[in-house]
Amino acid sequence: MAQRNLEKQLNILDYALSSLWRRRLKSLSLLLVFAAVIFLLASFQMVTQALTDKARQVLVYTPEITLQKMSVGRQEAIPLAYREQLAGIFGIRRVVPRIWGYYFDEVRLANYTVMGMELGEMPEGARLDTTLSGGAMPGTDERGRVVIGQSIKKALALEGRTTFSLFRPDLSLTSFEVSGEFSPDTDIMTNDLIVMGLAEARDLFAIPAGLVTDLCVYVANPTEIETIAKKISATLPSVRVLTRPQIQKTYQVVFGWRSGFGSICLLTALAAFVILAWDKASGLSPEERREIAILKVLGWETSDILAVRFWESVLVSGLACLAGMTAAYIHVVYFAAALFRPVLMGWSVLRPELHLAPRIEVGNILLILAFTVLPYLAATVIPAWRSATVPADSALGG
Amino acid sequence: MRPALVFGLILCLLLALDGVLFVDGLIRRKAEDATSAKLEVVTSGLGLTDLAVATEARYTRHPAVSDAMAPFMDHPGAIEHFPTGTFWLLPQR
Repeated sequence: MAQRNLEKQLNILDYALSSLWRRRLKSLSLLLVFAAVIFLLASFQMVTQALTDKARQVLVYTPEITLQKMSVGRQEAIPLAYREQLAGIFGIRRVVPRIWGYYFDEVRLANYTVMGMELGEMPEGARLDTTLSGGAMPGTDERGRVVIGQSIKKALALEGRTTFSLFRPDLSLTSFEVSGEFSPDTDIMTNDLIVMGLAEARDLFAIPAGLVTDLCVYVANPTEIETIAKKISATLPSVRVLTRPQIQKTYQVVFGWRSGFGSICLLTALAAFVILAWDKASGLSPEERREIAILKVLGWETSDILAVRFWESVLVSGLACLAGMTAAYIHVVYFAAALFRPVLMGWSVLRPELHLAPRIEVGNILLILAFTVLPYLAATVIPAWRSATVPADSALGG
Repeated sequence: MRPALVFGLILCLLLALDGVLFVDGLIRRKAEDATSAKLEVVTSGLGLTDLAVATEARYTRHPAVSDAMAPFMDHPGAIEHFPTGTFWLLPQR
């Protein structure tokens, strides 16, 4: 019995494939459009998931609390004297001042991120040498020595030279010597960085003594981060307090379907399926109605005709889904999401080498299937059922 | 050859390709694990807060420490004009 049923289904599958082959131009174009829509959705999901995963993985090590001074709705330099007020808060282990900001290179039209701090005061500061592909981190008493990211090295076109100059705000030049470069493995965090001592950064940006850009606060017990953050807010009301969980949370929502590009991907897919469903729901063509009528005259039952339509839909949508998702994976992993890079990086001049490794999860595959295959099945089987229940003589006669 | 068999062969080819990609993905993940130690040290050692993916605007270079309204604060009536602003959804705090 089971053998007979299997044979029947195989015959119906054969018929469905022959039927698709008969209308091969239409079937192939449908398959391609379907696969392209799935490719778009799956690519976006894979890129955002890979970036979110990477952020989740590394931002566990971000400072526990970061303090910025706000004035007139903008961030401004924070006085070093605030450290004395923080000293009274129990549970704070260490406060490290930093000066960091953006240096716009007008020749190369590139934005560099400059970070100045006393590396010896940072946690893991002594191990930073292990993250370099060459050279060493500058020592505490070494002046004018910097470590640069891979894109900075390319942008400055150093080619063997170890010195370069940047302009201060008053357009006087200050020189730096490259003491090391970050490994390409850390590109996603250090690609556009120039790391230097606090004094050099103060000199470069002409920040007055006694002021820094932000304060990194490290606490003795990580479970007390929120409590200490509240105490800091109460002590220093003009200060914006950013906690590690807040920073991590930012990266869980920063890439989402609600962003402009995400919405465009979703709306494109939605529009494609609305057009498809409208086309199918508006009824079968006279040829298809005639074909169904002939099959019924030949003795096919309504359930057999529905099975043919079901198989056709499953074949087209299943193949499109498989091809679309495979293409999306290849696009994201092997071509570093080349189609999305114009939006992901925009007019950025310094661009990191993206090594994205999206996780393939059953939940994500089901999400794509629910958005694409299920509506298509519903849109094709229902009109076929309506048509298959019409008496054969009226369909042929009409 | 019956059509179902031809289709089955095409499906098997696609699935075999997916299998190869899956195995390659596992190998890549293993290689990536080796580099994560470096990323952890650099993030901790420099106190980094953001991914260096988009470097054109401060609110997409450092979304975690920028204001949600940063795109609109360059001058009165300023509108957000950087392409990356369409990809990076600025969180509401």
